[in-house]
Amino acid sequence: MNPLNRLDLYKQMVRIRQYESRILQEYHADKKPAWDIGAGLIPGEMHLSAGQEPSAVGVCANLKQGDAITAPHRPHHFALAHGVDMNAMTAEIYGRDTGLCHGKGGHMHLFDPEHHFSCSGIIAQGYPVACGQALAFKRTGTDHVAVAVAGEGAANQGAFHESLNLAALWKLPVIFVIEDNDWAISVPRSHSTANASNADRASGYGMPGVRVENNDVEAVFEAAGVAIDRARAGGGPSLIEIHTVRLWGHFEGDAQAYRGADLDTLDARDPIPLYAATLAEIGDLSMDQVASIAADAAAEVDAAITFATSSPFPTADDALLHVFA
Amino acid sequence: MTSTETPTRRITTAKAMAEGIALEMRRDPAVFVMGEDVGAYGGIFGSTTDLFAEFGADRVIDTPISETGFIGAGIGAAVEGLRPVVELMFIDFYGVCMDQITNHMAKIHYESGGNVTVPMVLMAATGGGYSDAAQHSQCLWGTFAHLPGIKVVVPSNPYDAKGLMISAIQDDNPVLYLFHKGAQGLVWMEKNPRSIAHVPEESFTVPIGQAAIARQGTDVTIVTLSLSVQHSLDVAEQLVGEGISVEVIDLRSLVPLDTETVLTSVAKTGRVLVVDEDYRSFGLTGEIAAVIAEHDPTMLKKPFRRLAVPDVPIPYARVLEQAVLPTRDKITDHVKELMS
Amino acid sequence: MTEVPFPMMSEEEPDAEGVVGTWFVNHGETVAAGQVIAEVQVDKVSQDVEAPVGGVMYQLVAEGVGVRQGDPVARID
Repeated sequence: MNPLNRLDLYKQMVRIRQYESRILQEYHADKKPAWDIGAGLIPGEMHLSAGQEPSAVGVCANLKQGDAITAPHRPHHFALAHGVDMNAMTAEIYGRDTGLCHGKGGHMHLFDPEHHFSCSGIIAQGYPVACGQALAFKRTGTDHVAVAVAGEGAANQGAFHESLNLAALWKLPVIFVIEDNDWAISVPRSHSTANASNADRASGYGMPGVRVENNDVEAVFEAAGVAIDRARAGGGPSLIEIHTVRLWGHFEGDAQAYRGADLDTLDARDPIPLYAATLAEIGDLSMDQVASIAADAAAEVDAAITFATSSPFPTADDALLHVFA
Repeated sequence: MTSTETPTRRITTAKAMAEGIALEMRRDPAVFVMGEDVGAYGGIFGSTTDLFAEFGADRVIDTPISETGFIGAGIGAAVEGLRPVVELMFIDFYGVCMDQITNHMAKIHYESGGNVTVPMVLMAATGGGYSDAAQHSQCLWGTFAHLPGIKVVVPSNPYDAKGLMISAIQDDNPVLYLFHKGAQGLVWMEKNPRSIAHVPEESFTVPIGQAAIARQGTDVTIVTLSLSVQHSLDVAEQLVGEGISVEVIDLRSLVPLDTETVLTSVAKTGRVLVVDEDYRSFGLTGEIAAVIAEHDPTMLKKPFRRLAVPDVPIPYARVLEQAVLPTRDKITDHVKELMS
Repeated sequence: MTEVPFPMMSEEEPDAEGVVGTWFVNHGETVAAGQVIAEVQVDKVSQDVEAPVGGVMYQLVAEGVGVRQGDPVARID
């Protein structure tokens, strides 16, 4: 397990939040007065991870270069926490030729082979792929691990169940992360899932499972550390369910009429001010540091937006490239 | 001031299809709806607008993200006499439930020697044009039309959306109902005015297996479906000014395919362009070419033409996506080349 | 003559602009009281607007053009 570095955890979370906040702003800026999903410099769907920073940061703080992550349609926090280049990622979101995928993939299909990071928009389908990456690591004798990320809704998809069995059966170095943010678009967990905790399902499949409450980045860090160490040492897979919070809509443009009184609880559950208060109380974080960390993050995000918006678009003919190698 | 005019009622395609479901649910207690976010949310693309308020959670059921599970459950309910309307949120998600669709829903009637029926509607959103990229922008009707045992309907406008939905629910066969997201008339997506139209309030059917002549013409036949019908009609209006008379055939159904309407039109004009937002090779456009060639290739004054998405996944960036979709500009170019 | 206002949809931002996303009734057509005449949108939230009275309706704004909440969008004679 890596040593706990509280300040670093805080900085990473702030960096992600600054990023998501800026993308939120830019995404909507040119979709006024009529909100049109296909309009603007960032067209299409946008699924932001505000509130879910502890999950990504706590897990990734235990990873090293060469470890793999498959993420779902809401990928930015894991991408950033795992070291994906912010400029190239932003350029991809802006559909530019300098983007990770030359504008072919967009926000839901970010592929960074250098950091073994990928994401996709089909629920739970990153789970089997992560098993494959773990299989490769095991067969080639490295101590790398694969992390598969999905939401609590994904735990009811066939691929989830097949992956857990396969990983346990073949003792694959994979960590299954479930981000339980209570909502699968408009459907609350109580209406989709028979179990109270997916950690219970894990034991049914023959692997250890834990559920981390309170969106607590240090608790995530510790649970992930145990699971990752286990996998690296040849002990096989684990499942970690993290109870987190989706501060914004499922997608940008989601009016969330279905969410009711839950919306009123969100400010008090924002993990970043809560962690700042925790660190301040133990003397690990001063107000000056809060300000400078925020400023540094804002500057980095600003540079990434500038890089993206000044990058060239792909040309129409590029659409026919890269079907085959 | 008063008027003796009767108010015209115009609604969106989304509202029209939901209204079709509502009318059938009022008429027949065996009809119920299942799918993701079909309840309070009203369907991600408005397909179940207002149903939850009228019929409640007992008949409009939000499912977990378990397509194989709930589509299979729809099949089971149907074989036992209920009439489920099941939504697959995006047709692109077919990968996770294809076995239930093609090996069960489609084949049970045949495998049972006609003894078992599966009176089920599977509705799904299709189509691109708003940067939803490769896994959320496909049409795929060619894939499903190719596999025996499923009727496939694809409305292009509000009137047909309602009539085809009612026909689909009343049909004792499994019907795949594919609605184009860009033709739903949603305020939050760029829309063609043809997605808002007058629709009678009462129940009515549009026959499955019958194409419509959306616009009469004499010079060129465009055979098309879904949102491309709207685009083709726009092009046809534009080309009147250039002295070109375009006939637009709205297929409305792929299975059964109304070959007679297509062949009659091609016999009249001698020039045909098939416009299809699905992938080019091994699909609808090739099927129409084969139908014409088998019947009488000498009908054609000019070689057969097709405009479809080239054999590439749908890219994300707007410039790339527009390069692969069958846009109005491309339709216009093809028609003019047929006339040259 | 009755004016139909753009509804107050955002109480937190009363000055927020919205649009008429879709006109269901053409300029100069007859409407009945209670008939849905438009779908309006502020930010991500949309809702239907009904005719408060019957009569001949005239559109005061085009689709997609910014309108302040509370400003008239249609007139019914």
